[in-house]
Amino acid sequence: MAILVKASGLTKKYGDLVAVAGIDFEIREGECFGFLGPNGAGKTTTVRMIHCVSPVTAGTLTVGGLPSGIDNRALKKITGVIPQEINLDIDLTVAENLIIFARFFDIGRREAKARLAELLRFVELEAKAKCKISDLSTGMKRRLLIARALINRPRLIVADEPTTGLDPQARHLIWQRLRQLKAQGATLVLTTQYMEEAQQLCDRIVVMYQGKILKEGTPGRLVEEEIGKEVVEIRTPPEDDARILGHIAGFDCAHERVGDTLYFYCRDGHGMMKRLLELDLPNTLNRPATLEDVFLKLTGRSLHE
Amino acid sequence: MSLSYRISYVFLRNLYSYKRFILPTFLVSLVEPLFYLITFGVGMGAYMGAFGGKPYLHFLVPGVLASAAMMSSSFECLYGTYVKIVHEKVYDSLIATPVSADEAVAGDIAWGSFRGLISGSLMMIVALFMGVAPVSVWRAALLLLFMVFIGILFGSLAMIVTSIAPSFDFFSYYTELIMTPMLFFSGVFFPLDNFPGWMKTFAEFLPLTHAVRISRAVFTGETAPGLGWSLAGLLAFAAAIFTVSIRMMRKRLIK
Repeated sequence: MAILVKASGLTKKYGDLVAVAGIDFEIREGECFGFLGPNGAGKTTTVRMIHCVSPVTAGTLTVGGLPSGIDNRALKKITGVIPQEINLDIDLTVAENLIIFARFFDIGRREAKARLAELLRFVELEAKAKCKISDLSTGMKRRLLIARALINRPRLIVADEPTTGLDPQARHLIWQRLRQLKAQGATLVLTTQYMEEAQQLCDRIVVMYQGKILKEGTPGRLVEEEIGKEVVEIRTPPEDDARILGHIAGFDCAHERVGDTLYFYCRDGHGMMKRLLELDLPNTLNRPATLEDVFLKLTGRSLHE
Repeated sequence: MSLSYRISYVFLRNLYSYKRFILPTFLVSLVEPLFYLITFGVGMGAYMGAFGGKPYLHFLVPGVLASAAMMSSSFECLYGTYVKIVHEKVYDSLIATPVSADEAVAGDIAWGSFRGLISGSLMMIVALFMGVAPVSVWRAALLLLFMVFIGILFGSLAMIVTSIAPSFDFFSYYTELIMTPMLFFSGVFFPLDNFPGWMKTFAEFLPLTHAVRISRAVFTGETAPGLGWSLAGLLAFAAAIFTVSIRMMRKRLIK
């Protein structure tokens, strides 16, 4: 597959603060590529450079073969942005938001009207065309942001935490739509803090922390490599650790103590549970390993802010 | 600078949003200058006798026209633009499209200028009802054109203030410490002839002084000394301020 976005040594500094510290990545045409990381990891800064609203401090970044910073106008024409912050035009109606946005892309009035109808259908907002933005729920606003991002039929769609603050219904609808866009051939760049979202949407992800990329891979692969298949959690006081670890000696697994919980990362969670039952421990849980485990392992379990 | 026809898209966006506020903003931009006309022109003017052979109102109207255009464009590019940057995030969404930051700012200056033109036109109509009008129709048209220019000048100046404003309160420094004093030292309400020499010199550094001088000359058809210099100076000043405002706003918008 052709490479659509390529970064090498990509760096962004704000004065002395290094927001992105020389990262390399390649985003292929037609895939969904996810940037994961805690707040302040540099995800948003990175995607802002990709869609050319933030100049690159050092390193190179090319989109569709064009280096960013030379002809940003051409790059912006092929890009659709779903921003983290809801920045719909609150002075305009739902329909006007799309019509005016179409103008910004040199799309004529008739064509804009046709796309308006099509896009409102796509995000299920046909009935709201004449509504004020303030009358929309958060989920509707997020859907309208998607419709707005698609007005120029972008090749590259950048979605910066597109489901923040949404209920499960709204979130699943947005996931559906984003997958549909990918199926239609668009390339998706996603940032998220929701591991489930990354697992649902992304072909490949990178985990970012403090401006650097810690790991790269497919979600399944990262889970497998970093954690294993299953996780066993036991909520016990640390005094029990020695007794428990002694009892399960011989099992192929890593363990970690965090606060009130002892974690085991292993291939055979079921067998492990059986063995642990012999100890008659309260609050023991066996579950499949997720991207969240990878995330927490790589970026640490303490708060970052 | 990256400026193109896309400026008109930004103007169009503002026009769309304006539809909802058209009546209140019309009224607001009319009230203050109307106050000046009534209190100074009609009220005080009655005690002043003839002013260069005509009622005082004839002296006052062209000055108030110029200052109305200044006020409207300034407020639009101060508060209006600030709200669009910080609260409504209009600029954020704009600069993610092929519209450049420069065009977004220029579009807002154009919009401020348009608001100045509306205020000026409304004032002209009010003055007409008070029996004060430019000496000819083409001079009226020329005056409107000049108001567009005043709007661009003071809109750009306001845009510089906006580009460094950390909060809303910051604007009162500009409006109270610069705009309001300028209003009283620029020959809007009385001729500068009786000022001591240093104050006259000071007044020559105020752009509104020159704007009022030109406005009055166009309105009354009477030429004044130094008119050509006033116009040349204003044109150069406007060009410089416009360029600086775009650069400074670019710094604020692109990070």
